[in-house]
Amino acid sequence: MDIAQLMHLYISGEETYDSGDIIIEEGSTGDWIYIIQEGQAKVTKRTAAGIVAIDTLKKGAVFGEMVLLGKNQEKRSASVVAADGPVKLGVLDFQLLLRDYDSLSPQLRSLIDALVRRLKETSERVAALVVAANQRRKVA
Amino acid sequence: MAGTDENSFPVVTLKYRQGDLIIKQGDYGISIYRIVNGEVLVYQESTEKDVPLATLGPGDVLGEISFLKKGGERRSASAKALEETVLEVWHPSMLSKEYQGMPPMLKYITDQLLTRFLRMNHLLVQLTSREIQQREAMQKEDPLNSRRRYYRKAVDMACHYRPVDVPAKVRLPGRIKDISLNGIGIEIRMQNTKEFSHVEGDSFVISTALPNGKNLELKARIVSLTTTGTPGRVFTGMSVTELSDDARKLLGFFLMP
Repeated sequence: MDIAQLMHLYISGEETYDSGDIIIEEGSTGDWIYIIQEGQAKVTKRTAAGIVAIDTLKKGAVFGEMVLLGKNQEKRSASVVAADGPVKLGVLDFQLLLRDYDSLSPQLRSLIDALVRRLKETSERVAALVVAANQRRKVA
Repeated sequence: MAGTDENSFPVVTLKYRQGDLIIKQGDYGISIYRIVNGEVLVYQESTEKDVPLATLGPGDVLGEISFLKKGGERRSASAKALEETVLEVWHPSMLSKEYQGMPPMLKYITDQLLTRFLRMNHLLVQLTSREIQQREAMQKEDPLNSRRRYYRKAVDMACHYRPVDVPAKVRLPGRIKDISLNGIGIEIRMQNTKEFSHVEGDSFVISTALPNGKNLELKARIVSLTTTGTPGRVFTGMSVTELSDDARKLLGFFLMP
């Protein structure tokens, strides 16, 4: 079975967003995991100096997965905003994914958790540097 | 499925003493470590000074990036034990087998997570090196030009100072209210001016600790003395007369917007 067919089994619903709509809000709680079926979305982070975009997600990208794959990761670590709308999303079946996740060895789960944390930390540092670069541009 | 049983992983336990090197930057290696107890410092080695990246404790995993990049990768950072530390070493080939055989949807998502992490890491390296280049470029600029950039920063930092011609044990208290590469404004107690001469043209040695913990010392000459709104306090505007190269660098970093 290829990934497209498999995906079908995991998608439990569909949602559509217009450009600028917030799909996931940083700091909120929620365990929905999405896959982009059409359009693009931007990943943004809040900083002391405002909101900065750090990444763009395209068709096939899964987001919201950190809540499932990270330990002690209850809050959304970044916002996801529909960028190139209408953005069509598939909502993945959390229970099905959780069953997959529970079948992993504790070691592999720790490894994936470490990856989630590294991604989170790296994103935070990127956001801070983007802010610093923007501010310097304004000063110069 | 294979690997779901915790006991199916051969686990080796290693003990490290304080200061022992666990991972050496630049080495080849794909072993993964999990901290059982103790504390580990991850740091980037560089020619000038090691850059601390993270402090890890019990339950944290170490060395996962080289493993996930599928081996053949040099270690991107060093790690050493900060105290007596016990680590579990995981067998990379068994873990690798389990990773490859993960439920396909979960593997699809984890692979994306890794790609996203590598993309962010690449961006981080790019942005950091750009930041360093710009800082260096700013330092190379002539002082006249950089005066525009090194604006006078409003601060509130404790300092102590003394007239240049008295012994170093004299420490008059003050609070720095603004600072630039050329000038410094200090709020002092009126009492200070009664103990030592504080008139226009008097020179002082001023010491303070910057927020990064580094000590800054410079010499400056009084150009103005004004009363503040607070009784018993005086504000002195001074012109910097002596600043060592190191202190200039230190202050330059601190003043950067």
